[in-house]
Amino acid sequence: MIVADPKPFLQVKGYLEDFGKILVVGCGTCTTVCLSGGEAEVQILASGLRIAFGKEGRQKTILEDCIQRHCDLEFVTPILSRVEAEGVDAVVSLACGVGVNFLADRLGNVPIYPGLNTTFYGANAQQGLWTEMCAGCGSCIVAHTGGICPVARCSKHLLNGPCGGSEKGKCEVDPKNIECVWQLIYDRLKRLGRLDDLRNLLPPKDWSTASDGGVRRSAREQLYDVK
Amino acid sequence: MEKSSSGSFKVMAGEALATCSAACPVHTDTREYVARVSRGDYEGALDILLEVNPFPSVCGRICHHPCESRCRRTGIDEAVSLRMIKRFIVENTRAYRIARRKKAMRVKSDKAAAIIGAGPSGLTAAMDLALRGYRVKVYEKDTKLGGMLAHAIPRYRLPPDALAQDIEDILATGIEVHMGCSVGVDISFEQLKKENDAILIAVGLAESHSLPIPGTGSQGVFLGVTFLWDVANGLCPQLGKRTLVIGGGNVAIDIARAAKRLGPEKVYLACLESREEMPAWKWEIAEAEEEGIEILNSWGPKAILEKEGAVAGIEFRRCGSVFDAQRRFSPTYDESVTNTVEVDSVIVGIGQKANLDFLIGSPVSVNGARLTCDRESMATSEPGVFACGEVMTGPGSAIQAVGTGHEAARVIAHYLETGKILKLANKKVIDIGELPAATAAEARRFDRVCVDLTAPAERVKDFSPIEPVYTEEEALSESRRCLACATGAHLQFPNHCAGCLTCMRICPFGVAQVRRTAFMPVQQCQTCGLCAAECPAFAIDVLRFPTGAMKKAMVDSVAGLDLEKVARPFLISYCCVNGTTSRKYLKDQSAEEIMESGVLRVLVPCVGRLSVADLVSPFELGADKVAVVSCPEDGCFYPRVEDWLSRRINRTQKYLDEIGVGKDKLQLFRMEGSGDESWARIWAGFRAVNIETAVGK
Repeated sequence: MIVADPKPFLQVKGYLEDFGKILVVGCGTCTTVCLSGGEAEVQILASGLRIAFGKEGRQKTILEDCIQRHCDLEFVTPILSRVEAEGVDAVVSLACGVGVNFLADRLGNVPIYPGLNTTFYGANAQQGLWTEMCAGCGSCIVAHTGGICPVARCSKHLLNGPCGGSEKGKCEVDPKNIECVWQLIYDRLKRLGRLDDLRNLLPPKDWSTASDGGVRRSAREQLYDVK
Repeated sequence: MEKSSSGSFKVMAGEALATCSAACPVHTDTREYVARVSRGDYEGALDILLEVNPFPSVCGRICHHPCESRCRRTGIDEAVSLRMIKRFIVENTRAYRIARRKKAMRVKSDKAAAIIGAGPSGLTAAMDLALRGYRVKVYEKDTKLGGMLAHAIPRYRLPPDALAQDIEDILATGIEVHMGCSVGVDISFEQLKKENDAILIAVGLAESHSLPIPGTGSQGVFLGVTFLWDVANGLCPQLGKRTLVIGGGNVAIDIARAAKRLGPEKVYLACLESREEMPAWKWEIAEAEEEGIEILNSWGPKAILEKEGAVAGIEFRRCGSVFDAQRRFSPTYDESVTNTVEVDSVIVGIGQKANLDFLIGSPVSVNGARLTCDRESMATSEPGVFACGEVMTGPGSAIQAVGTGHEAARVIAHYLETGKILKLANKKVIDIGELPAATAAEARRFDRVCVDLTAPAERVKDFSPIEPVYTEEEALSESRRCLACATGAHLQFPNHCAGCLTCMRICPFGVAQVRRTAFMPVQQCQTCGLCAAECPAFAIDVLRFPTGAMKKAMVDSVAGLDLEKVARPFLISYCCVNGTTSRKYLKDQSAEEIMESGVLRVLVPCVGRLSVADLVSPFELGADKVAVVSCPEDGCFYPRVEDWLSRRINRTQKYLDEIGVGKDKLQLFRMEGSGDESWARIWAGFRAVNIETAVGK
């Protein structure tokens, strides 16, 4: 799942100073699940904007909506229609960056602003807490590391660790909250009886499958003619 | 019903009745009247009672309350005291009840029906038929209406004015009543047949069975129903110093307790049954014993002993068993074990039978002492002649009789319109089932509100009512013990649910589940509303108290104000409705009151169900400050709610700082004592605090 956190309120408000009619759009998938961009957060942000602008004596129209996903045209189309039909001056999206981009590509001359900071691909570690698990590098190496990703979960992205900053299983970057992933990998391989795998050092990674190789696409030939 | 993926049936609210309603013979919407009481809407609660029961005053006094026996709260602590709540409603809405009466129904049909007997079943049927527009005449041999309610239930349980309230209401529908008119004596059954298109026999079981033992003709032997009739009509039967009542049912208990009030030094009650087998309600037995009545169990009367024609004693033999293997009444005795009790009076209360003499010579078939009647169609052997109440069902309760009265009206109306018999469907009532033990284990316990009966030594002195009515505070408090079964959380917008698991994780009762989307089994939900408050998609709502309705009420209230004239600071206060002890704060506020006081109160069943959006929105409406007033410490019905609420308040306070309102404008308060005592003080204190708005901090 994509995880995102709310932007500071004043930053969002700052984007919107010049617009009269603003539409706040939530996303019903990832950011609903990580409790930052669903229907409830739309209401809270919209309410806050009305109050804050109102206190400055500036009456703006703040509209609210929430769609199932921001990253599919069929779900997004009603929003595009609404923006046009109601003469919306600016859109605030509570989707991840994907959603903001997808809408921006289709909104013509209407600006869109992010209400969230998209942070990582993560999982729910505990109620109300998400942690990073994957970096989307495009060439998964976890077959060699007991299913645990050093690219995403090592503060230095080391492919052969640990470094000297590993102490009592914790990472020196934030010992209270970050575990040393190389300790986790070691423990995991030991449990699997495969500690010898650590003798095979991982070669330097080809980052061309990650963003270094340009904007990535992913196609399914049964549905799409690959060019 | 739909089947959940676990294979268990998911009973949807609306399809299955709450156990209390299912157990009630007329299926009173118990949850709704109790909910209305808890909101201070006693008049609305009376409306609910009267929808199905023309005898709420009687039932508030004497109903055997099967609703309470099936109350799911018994799985946690004790049943909600529904009968006492009902009595409170009736006694606090007298003027409203008179005012709500409609004018007598206009007769819309040329068809006429005669009802023989003005007990609860006959009067219910008469009222229903009158409301359907038929001409209805009720024939009552006695000079009072109400049947056994008027003649057999002692006044300390059912005072005449309590019965009169119900009867007056029924008569107002326009039924014609002939009192002191005994069918078979003052008017023949044939005459009734000629004058009417349908006849309903609702004569009840108005005569006592006698005992086939020697000595029953002695002076000092009374038959139970006759005895109770005399007592009810102020003809004090002369009892000796020692009186013995024979019988183990509720009527026998009434007789014994009535006898005790007439002055004998000693009253015994002897019955065939062992203590456990006695058919009388256990609370009636307990109250009788408190009054000094001695119960002699497992004794069968053998002979009433006499001396110079008057009762001198009674001889018993040991009763070994009362029922045979098929549970049929078939007592066995051990003649070698006997017991003689010296008494001066004996009252026989072993059961009642119908007097059907008026049918002699009529075509209506009578089998022995029983009227031949088909239970499903309520039809007798004669077309157009029907029966209801105890003459059809055998001994039963008042509310059962009311139920058959409603049914009789349905079959008679069908007959009058079509000339055909209506077979009542064998109704299978689905209820929501028991409260699962795992849910009950999580629920907090709250003592049932009990009232003290008059002290036994005092109450046996006369026939004054012995049970006080609930005070308003008691009624409100008890109404809030209702679990509001099956009116809890549900997935209002399934396509909004992202399956985020928050509801499941936060539910303090372990009820909410997620299988692709959330669901809260209605049988288990305890209606705290925490899941609705935390749902990030606002996909969940609570049936009993929809969030949208609360918000709309608040918006409407503010819309009616002139914000320029509202006393500042304008405070919107969310308060837990459970804190109120009177209607002082339950009634709607007028715009003038809000503007003058500067306080708008919004009552919620539990403030724990307020979402962050709910906490922010009052500021959007123009509030200067928002107070959230929760229950006193340990007063909340729901576990762990306070912790979640204070976390939500903390988050909202930070947000209020961000948006320039200032975190101190929102405060969480805890009641001390009741809301009536503490809210005004909390509001005044909070309004008086000078808070600098934290803009830019």
